[in-house]
Amino acid sequence: MTESITQIQEPVGKRFNWEIFLQDNITGSWFQAIWVLLLTIFTISYAISQFDNLPLSTGIILGGWVIGIFMVVRGELSLKHSRLSRWLKNNLISSISNTILTLLIILVIAFSINSIWQWAVVNANFNPLETTPEFRTEEGATWGVIFGARKLLMTGLMAPEDSWRVWIALGFILVMWVLTLVSGRPKLKEKLKALRTVVNTVWLLSPAILYLFLAGAPNNPYNIKLMLIAEVGILAIYLLLWWQKVVQFYWRSFIITALGWPLLYTIWSTIGTSEFFPPINVDTWGGLLLTMIIASAVIVLSLPLGMVLALGRRSEVYGIPDWIVWPVAVGAMIWGFTTTPVLLETSRNLIERLLAFWPLLIFGVAYILQRAFKGNVVAGASTTFIEFIRSVPLITLLFMGIVMAPFFLAPGVYTPKPWPVIIGYTLFASAYSAEIIRGGLQAIPHGQFEAADSLGFNGLQKMRFIVLPQALRIVIPPIVGQFIGAFKSSSLVSIVGLFDFVGISKVVIANNEWLGLRTELYVFMAVVYFLGSFLMSSYSRRLEVRLGLGER
Amino acid sequence: MKQEVSPQLQEDQKGPWWRVFLSFIFDVRVLGVLGQIGFILLVIIIAQTIGGNFSENASRLGESQFICRDGTFSYRCAYDFMDSESGFDIAETMIDYVNTDPYWTAFKVGLLNTLKLALLGVTLTTLIGIIAGIARLSDNWLVSKLALWYVELMRNTPLLIQIVFIYFGVVLALPALKEAIQPMGLPIFLSERGLNLPKLIFTSSASIWIAFLILGIIQFQVLWTSLGRREERTGQASNRVALGIISLVIVASIGWFTASAVSDTQGMLVTKGSRILDVGDLVKFTLRRAKVNHIDDIAALPEEEISAAAFQVCVLEDSSSEANLTRHLRGLKIPYNIHRTDRPDQATAKFADGTCEAFAASKSILAAERATLENLTGNIIISIKESPLVWSLPVLEGLNMVGGSKVRPEFTALLMALVLFYGGSIAEIVRAGILSVSKGQSEAARALGLSEGQRLQLVVMPQALRVIIPPLIGEFLSLSKDTSLGFAIGFPDMYAVSYTTMNQSGRVLQLFVLMMLVYMTISIVFSGVLNWYNERAKLVER
Repeated sequence: MTESITQIQEPVGKRFNWEIFLQDNITGSWFQAIWVLLLTIFTISYAISQFDNLPLSTGIILGGWVIGIFMVVRGELSLKHSRLSRWLKNNLISSISNTILTLLIILVIAFSINSIWQWAVVNANFNPLETTPEFRTEEGATWGVIFGARKLLMTGLMAPEDSWRVWIALGFILVMWVLTLVSGRPKLKEKLKALRTVVNTVWLLSPAILYLFLAGAPNNPYNIKLMLIAEVGILAIYLLLWWQKVVQFYWRSFIITALGWPLLYTIWSTIGTSEFFPPINVDTWGGLLLTMIIASAVIVLSLPLGMVLALGRRSEVYGIPDWIVWPVAVGAMIWGFTTTPVLLETSRNLIERLLAFWPLLIFGVAYILQRAFKGNVVAGASTTFIEFIRSVPLITLLFMGIVMAPFFLAPGVYTPKPWPVIIGYTLFASAYSAEIIRGGLQAIPHGQFEAADSLGFNGLQKMRFIVLPQALRIVIPPIVGQFIGAFKSSSLVSIVGLFDFVGISKVVIANNEWLGLRTELYVFMAVVYFLGSFLMSSYSRRLEVRLGLGER
Repeated sequence: MKQEVSPQLQEDQKGPWWRVFLSFIFDVRVLGVLGQIGFILLVIIIAQTIGGNFSENASRLGESQFICRDGTFSYRCAYDFMDSESGFDIAETMIDYVNTDPYWTAFKVGLLNTLKLALLGVTLTTLIGIIAGIARLSDNWLVSKLALWYVELMRNTPLLIQIVFIYFGVVLALPALKEAIQPMGLPIFLSERGLNLPKLIFTSSASIWIAFLILGIIQFQVLWTSLGRREERTGQASNRVALGIISLVIVASIGWFTASAVSDTQGMLVTKGSRILDVGDLVKFTLRRAKVNHIDDIAALPEEEISAAAFQVCVLEDSSSEANLTRHLRGLKIPYNIHRTDRPDQATAKFADGTCEAFAASKSILAAERATLENLTGNIIISIKESPLVWSLPVLEGLNMVGGSKVRPEFTALLMALVLFYGGSIAEIVRAGILSVSKGQSEAARALGLSEGQRLQLVVMPQALRVIIPPLIGEFLSLSKDTSLGFAIGFPDMYAVSYTTMNQSGRVLQLFVLMMLVYMTISIVFSGVLNWYNERAKLVER
């Protein structure tokens, strides 16, 4: 009895035992033994080859490695670890295979960083005037191209005399951000309430303002019909929201809503005709400017559209009843089958014979509508749209925007390239956003809906006050991921012939001065995209913390 | 029926007719249905406008869009042009294609390239993703940080930039073919012309070996089941995996040697005067000519003497005889020189005029060719042993690589970029999946005395896979769609081929519809797999 207790109290694990050590590290299993063996052989051969190239640095790394092992072993044997040796033991030198892996990775990283450093800094030429082939070397980068081609990279083929408008737009955004951040500070929040209202309103109007700066107001005559139609629409939406008790009726807000649009439209067309901001050719947009325009337009437009699609896909409105759908569908089919005999007569092969029975498609559509969606056209249309978009690659949609749009528009209408691309891309992004938002909607517990019902909320109120605030908060992380994806994938517009940040590189390297300096440009672009995406994701992480996501 | 009508409704139905009508109309359900019908009508009107615009535009562009083979105009002839000659070359083809083939064949070539890339990409990406995902969870700080930076780099830069960077900055910047990189001395050549890999060739004796292999697999299955039954019955444990694999290997190797011994289809035509009666005599023959005593001394000779002593042999282009013969010659360390010809009679002519000292091919060809020779009795056919599988190794000859399989630089770059990019996403999925299995599960498995392998195989992985597989299939679908980015570096996938066809024929809509159909089919296949898996995973649930 006493013997066994003393045995347990003795630090058994601390006493070094070769057998246990070998079993833990090498002979535990066949797999482990082979892994350690291969790793050792590979590391030794790699270390030897690097020792031939750079004896000094390899020697220093090997020395450091040996010292680290020595520290850990001494700590283990003396049962006394310093902070460093404990960290080393836990993270780098925990077992034989880890120890060897550590050496291998340090060697690989050190030499990769060294060769990148040699190429990018030591042997590189930073002079923007020395980019022609006679100044270039094989082992160094020619970074001068970045500074030299800065105008192309930033604004593309835009006329130099229009650059001031880009600067104004940039300044406007900067000022707005500063104002937002200042007025959003907790200490100043109460004092600057009026400023916040102004800032928020200007943000709402910022697409129009930026359009004015970057594209110029169209020099169209004052279109009173358009103005009135839009005015009626705005008022109708306002009254609908008031009727459904989503907004409260205040005379002040009603007057602002009623007079805001005519006022803005008048200002807009006045500026347009005053030639203060003359319209510029949108096709000349390029470089980072175009990338930013496309990315932000897509991000801003795809969110509401995605929300509509998500709500549509989940909508539970009362579907079209069977007694309307079937008579209409059967009637249409009978009408369609009158064409079948002619088609059958002229058919040449099996596929055409089958296609002669196209009215069956009407039956199929009606059947799916009634069977899968219970006659709910809203859900059916949203689902079809989302699933179609998600199953095709983005570049086919962009291609559709560029090449097919002219076919589908009225003859003779020309649209500058960025617009169809933005539309196609927005459709694409909104389908993905819709699925994310739908996930958020599904995550709302059913009790919330029931609680809203029991409080007597109507459908719109339920969405506005109960469901959407919670759902949108949940989807922030994935939706920001989607935004980052939209920002990155905007590079695909270069494939359909737009000169965005990536596409402009073709123009730059075709220039005699910078002929073929691809690698430098691509590295620069990768860095810019990396920084952009990284900033967005870190901002989203801050937003999550601020909204207390995952704490409830 | 009357009891079901609520008092509210009854109240509404009172009063003048217009009030009844209004209360009917302002029912949310009625409004909703009217709105939906309106929506359908709107869609039909928009579709009609677009269709009208399209037919107007199409007729403005000339009716060539829908011209039939007999010269008439009809919408049903939209795809007739696909039967006409394509007129463009495609660099990478899996099936036979020349530029006089119809557009349909070109489209098929593109489609096959897309599928090949997608399949290979999916396989390799899964591998890289799993490795990187496990590396993210490694207890080695450096490994996990390295994996983290790999994932971050992949996630935060556009795929397009990665593709063009890898193509122009990495693959095309590789050394020329002469200084190709050979990783660890293996017969793998990485150069600016792409990747040259060894290729496995099934020879004529492979069928015997495959028969043995099938036998072995049946035997493995029988052994597995019977041992399993015995284990269930008696509780007597047996190492089924090891026993099964050992027996399979034994059967397979018996099959291998039988097939090699039995095979008698390969032969070599030599002159009687050369005194070569079987492949082993080639050593003596070479020693005699090089005037050395041992075969190892040949390597020490000067370059010219080696090439003078080299065994000159004719083979047919793309035949397995070459790979088989060179395997024997390499084994015997005999220097050799291969002459390739397109047709047997060319090889025979070369053999007759002495350019080649031997002609290696299948025996039936050789017998026919020997009959055409003038000096019939002066030539004999000797047998060459043939193993069921032969490696065809890439060898540099002149300015080109011969043998093995070639992977073009565009394909190499695209595959590398796709695999690296999606490997990063899959690494995160794998990590999240493994982390989703609660710690208690592993602890319980250890407490039950399961080994680490059993713990992973029986407890952790089945639970992790349920979390991993649905997003994984989503990534596979994205990868298949992103193969279209190969267009940026000129890889002839379906999108690129369709684009060229569109440019040449002007039929935009037709090809667009075709492309969409293919991509949607791919997508439906993937979502079918996903639904099937979800159903299965659901059944496993309690």
